[in-house]
Amino acid sequence: MNWSLFFDLTVSGLTLGSLYALVALGYSMVYGILKLLNFAHGDVYMIGAFIGWFALHALGGPVNPDFAGAAVLVVMFLTAMIGCGILGVAIERFAYRPLRNAPRIAPLISALGVSIFLQNSALLVFGAQFRDYQTFNLIGVKTYSIGNLFFSVPQLLTVVAAICLMVALTVFVARSRLGKAMRSTAYDREAASMMGIDVDRVISVTFFIGSALAGAAGVMFGLVFGQIFHFMGFLAGLKGFTAAVIGGIGSIPGAMIGGLVVGLAESYATGYLPQGSTFQNLYVFALLILVILIRPSGLFGTVVVQKA
Amino acid sequence: MSPDDGIPGPAESAGAPRIGVDEWVASVEEKRERYSGLRGVALREWDRLPAAARVLLCVGLAALFPLVTSDGNVFRYGLFTLVYGLLAIGLNVVVGFAGLLDLGYVAFFGFGAYTYGILASPQYNNHWQAEAAIPVVIVATGVLGLLVGLPSRRLFGDYLAIATLFFGQAFYVFVNNANRIKFPFFGHTNLTGGSNGIAGIEPFNFFGYKVQGTRGLYYLLLISIAIVLIFLFAVHDSRTGRAWRALREDPLAAEAMSIPVNRLKLLAFVFGAAVAGFTGAIYATIATAALPGDYNVGLLITIYAIMILGGFGSMMGIFVGAIVVSSVPELLRSSANARPLFYGAILLAILVKIRPWRRLALELGGLIAFGFAVHAIASAAYPRLTDGKAIGSGLFARALDHWMLFPRNPEHIADVAYILMVAAIVIFPQATGLWRALLLPALLYSVMFVWENLLLQQIGGATRLILLGALLVALMNARPQGLFGKAYVEIV
Amino acid sequence: MADTPLLELDQADKSFGGLRVIADLDLVVNEHEIVSVIGPNGAGKTTLFNLITGIYPPDSGEIRLDGRNLVGLQPHVITGLGIARTFQTLRLFLNMTVKENVMAAQYGHTKVGVLRSMVKTPAARREEKEIHRRAEEKLSFFGDRLMGYRWDQFAYSLSYANRRRLEIARAMATEPRLLLLDEPAAGMNPKETHEITELIGKLREDGRYTILVIEHDMHVVEGISDRVVALDHGVKIAEGSFESVATDERVIEAYLGLRRATTK
Repeated sequence: MNWSLFFDLTVSGLTLGSLYALVALGYSMVYGILKLLNFAHGDVYMIGAFIGWFALHALGGPVNPDFAGAAVLVVMFLTAMIGCGILGVAIERFAYRPLRNAPRIAPLISALGVSIFLQNSALLVFGAQFRDYQTFNLIGVKTYSIGNLFFSVPQLLTVVAAICLMVALTVFVARSRLGKAMRSTAYDREAASMMGIDVDRVISVTFFIGSALAGAAGVMFGLVFGQIFHFMGFLAGLKGFTAAVIGGIGSIPGAMIGGLVVGLAESYATGYLPQGSTFQNLYVFALLILVILIRPSGLFGTVVVQKA
Repeated sequence: MSPDDGIPGPAESAGAPRIGVDEWVASVEEKRERYSGLRGVALREWDRLPAAARVLLCVGLAALFPLVTSDGNVFRYGLFTLVYGLLAIGLNVVVGFAGLLDLGYVAFFGFGAYTYGILASPQYNNHWQAEAAIPVVIVATGVLGLLVGLPSRRLFGDYLAIATLFFGQAFYVFVNNANRIKFPFFGHTNLTGGSNGIAGIEPFNFFGYKVQGTRGLYYLLLISIAIVLIFLFAVHDSRTGRAWRALREDPLAAEAMSIPVNRLKLLAFVFGAAVAGFTGAIYATIATAALPGDYNVGLLITIYAIMILGGFGSMMGIFVGAIVVSSVPELLRSSANARPLFYGAILLAILVKIRPWRRLALELGGLIAFGFAVHAIASAAYPRLTDGKAIGSGLFARALDHWMLFPRNPEHIADVAYILMVAAIVIFPQATGLWRALLLPALLYSVMFVWENLLLQQIGGATRLILLGALLVALMNARPQGLFGKAYVEIV
Repeated sequence: MADTPLLELDQADKSFGGLRVIADLDLVVNEHEIVSVIGPNGAGKTTLFNLITGIYPPDSGEIRLDGRNLVGLQPHVITGLGIARTFQTLRLFLNMTVKENVMAAQYGHTKVGVLRSMVKTPAARREEKEIHRRAEEKLSFFGDRLMGYRWDQFAYSLSYANRRRLEIARAMATEPRLLLLDEPAAGMNPKETHEITELIGKLREDGRYTILVIEHDMHVVEGISDRVVALDHGVKIAEGSFESVATDERVIEAYLGLRRATTK
């Protein structure tokens, strides 16, 4: 066995997995509360990557930033997260809230519309070309190693930042008043509103947090892979959702673990399975089908009696 | 999640029934009475016609189209309208009848095209007759649909949407790369031509008669649509059709009334896939090629837009949907057509939405004055904002030059304006009263600015899909049942 | 055959989370009997119906129809074997016509597949005719309530009482041997309640159905029942004639105790 290949794949799998986990969280939280597949979520992630890029260039660009690299990074993350959070809230207001009592398929189609709208707006405004984060100029090319595990700085940053965000989210949901309101709304929306919880506000907050996490993931993608483009949200959205399903949709720890599983699976498939670098998406698809067949409620999900 | 979610509760605590009370019935009756006046008479008469007569009427009208226009127009408007229409009819079985969100639908379309391409092209040295190839394509696509649908059998809800969306992507990756897969026993096989696709696909050859040329293909499509529609109307009022509608209404009650819900959903799924495969074969003969890029998400959205515009479950509305969705973008391609359509649509929206007339006149006057004011200020202070010219020629375009801002290099300004405009549209509903009245002219002006300086420039590209996406959202907001669909009564 | 009861529950048990909704329940319904199930809210009556019709399986125990174990079968299979139900919450196919509702429920015992109905073969036409005839027959059971112009009305336009009737007609269309009626008189006025009481009797006499009914209205229960079973918290607390159950101390306590608790 070629251990160095294995470790390389593991590191890139963990990095990818962190991105997917962050995207999956948004899917899972929204699904938990509204039972809605937010198809536009992947595109929010894409917009996040572009906001990060514009923030970077507003601060003087990667080669000659106005501030120290770390400060630029913080600003990039913050603007992307806040921008995407607002975008998420707007999407919910505009495309989903009026449809809460419509037939079940209507918000799904509305979501599809938002997705295609965002994607092509990005094409229109940002153009079809790739935009480069030029991470090497911004944070250097240094790699760290733990034993045989070689991490580049962006990879390390991604994994650590993702873990921090997830811990913060877990604490928020478990401890804060709003977090508790979110959990009770997910459990039973009607009962929650009767208990005096402002359900609309809870839903807005859920969209804000979910979209902000996706925005952060978008910036991370730019840092790790360098290039961003208008269509990047589609595949990331698919895989984020796959991660959410594998982990058990509606479950927050499930989304995190699911993200890591999908990331590692994709990475190992690239390295080990026949024609993996071409067909890695097919292998992830197979994994999704396998999970749906064997354990439809996902790793952490509870068995839910289907509604429609 | 409570254990009894969505099924009659274990505890008999349903509370007071909300349906069935007199006010509720009355409100529903009121909804139905909306069809009044001439339109009501026409609609009622239309509803009374037998299905076959309705199909013949529509098809008969469509058959006249090639007689009154040129081959080029038939190709541009007719063929694609019919291909999209046929696809939407098949999708309607899956989504409209059975209520399944199938997002891998275009992959079945592509699969049909590729299968026919393999059976009838010099690339594979096969030259099957159409009467043999078409059934093979239909059955093969149906079987593929069965294979895709089976794993999702237990989860025919939202997971089906994601599994099929992923399937569509998987199909794309597969056909793009299946020219160099190494199979055990067979070695390297070129299954799909990879990114080059299959070229030189032959026309349908029915017992020696070749269907080709724009008109031939047009009538082939029309006949196919008529046959599929007549079949579908028969199914709609059969045991299977009733079961489909029942399970869309209430899957649990359907199951309790001896209807095998999962099997019927699978059947609808397979049915839709087979129609898509058949359409794919026809499309392959139109394009004389099968290319991996043809079966993308953009096409999927187009088909969904058609079906929704036509109304879920309404088969005849799809004709209208197909004409609107596939012709309008074609018309939009030239600015001479696009401009009147755009301003006409805006005017219409204002006419419908703003009452009374006095307010309407004030708003329109405000808009015109606002434009001249902005133009005057800009040309005095920032002349480079007004240096450009409106696209196209003619009186209207030249008049616009004096009213609308046309920056010399509109790229960046227009990009920013686009983002601001979207934000403004999102925020606008929050404004109330006087603010709303005051802000409306500015909002409209900004929409027109973006239209003239950005959307009109990109009319062949992203604009089409942006408009389609916005249309889907707006339509779901305004009429969740689709433009021509019947308003469904649902218990919330 | 007189020895095997039509429906038999043997130690059926069901919990949701920590809550035991049906506890080791034994229940027998003999052919041509009308059995009423009564009990306060939350006693597990509707859950009982959901167990019998297979909407969820019991955690343990057996449910037998004519000696055949139903546990693990899908709901539509159980309906096909001869058990049909109505829903307390009324789950009609609202956007289908009255007649179509009844026709749709005949799916289980009709055969023509989708391909044959697509091209309308003679067999398909014949069967379609038969479906129409049977639907009309079932609807005629309710006098002129669901006849004539009402056939082509959408179910959503029906009054509350007519919806209850249509629920019953739809259940009858599955050609069951055992009818489960979930509060057939709920929300009805006294006249309609009287009508439904007579109708249930007629269902047994003319329709040859065996009937298990959940009902709150004690006049209805008294009027129709051969036997009454009282449930409380999933446990059978009394069984027998209406008089004996209605005067049973535990039954009175279950109802009063509950009332005391809720008015506190």
